[in-house]
Amino acid sequence: MDLFRVGHDVYGQRVLEGISWNTVPYAVGVAAVVIVGHLIWRLIRGTKRGA
Amino acid sequence: MAEAAERVFAGSEAPPAVAGRVERHKGVDRLFHWLTAAAVLTLMTTGLLPALGILKFNWVVVHWSVGVFLVLLVLFHIVRSLFWQRLKCMFALSAAEIAGKKVTKYSVAQKLMHHAMTLMVLAAVITGCFMLMKMDTPLWKRDPYTLSQATWGVIYVIHGAAAVSAITLVFVHVYFAILPEKRMYLRAMIKGWLTREELAEHHTPPKKNG
Repeated sequence: MDLFRVGHDVYGQRVLEGISWNTVPYAVGVAAVVIVGHLIWRLIRGTKRGA
Repeated sequence: MAEAAERVFAGSEAPPAVAGRVERHKGVDRLFHWLTAAAVLTLMTTGLLPALGILKFNWVVVHWSVGVFLVLLVLFHIVRSLFWQRLKCMFALSAAEIAGKKVTKYSVAQKLMHHAMTLMVLAAVITGCFMLMKMDTPLWKRDPYTLSQATWGVIYVIHGAAAVSAITLVFVHVYFAILPEKRMYLRAMIKGWLTREELAEHHTPPKKNG
């Protein structure tokens, strides 16, 4: 996975253009892991007082 | 005396309008929260959807205008929290709180969420302010040559990282807000209050007034 977007300037030199948009699904994935992880923890704990 | 302590603990020194309720968030703070939420969601929509190729529209004007609005909101919040609120309510963190033996106005999870959001929003607005130098607006003319290409690259990376991390933070924040056992905090952010029972059940009472 590329973390960054890299382009070339008018002189042909590599320039940083920003973060790669391929990281967006990973951001959604991290959120899903946190949410599902908490739901499982909540089920196991079996209490109404979550984190 | 006990009621006064509860009010201070809950974040308000004003008497609650209805008996049995303790004010948690003042109207101005709730308005700030929802305006910030609207601004962040608009900025995510106008920034990420065109970049991902999901929606093509002229997003630039909306994005920078709402971005400037968010800067004003952040400045307002900084001034208000410095001079009208107790910073330690949000920033103090004791060993007892980490161990789960004590819950002050905000839980450890709520403080961590606030700090993560703060980091994300500050990274976005500070880099966004630099990026405004590349914009022609009614207030200023663009000047993209002040910074080097390499510096612009770093600014774009930080701005993008803030935008991408906002996705995770918003999902997690909304999830915790709608959990049944946490919904009282959502109500408090809409209507402003908790009941005394909720306060007693979920928070450690203060030993002294304040």
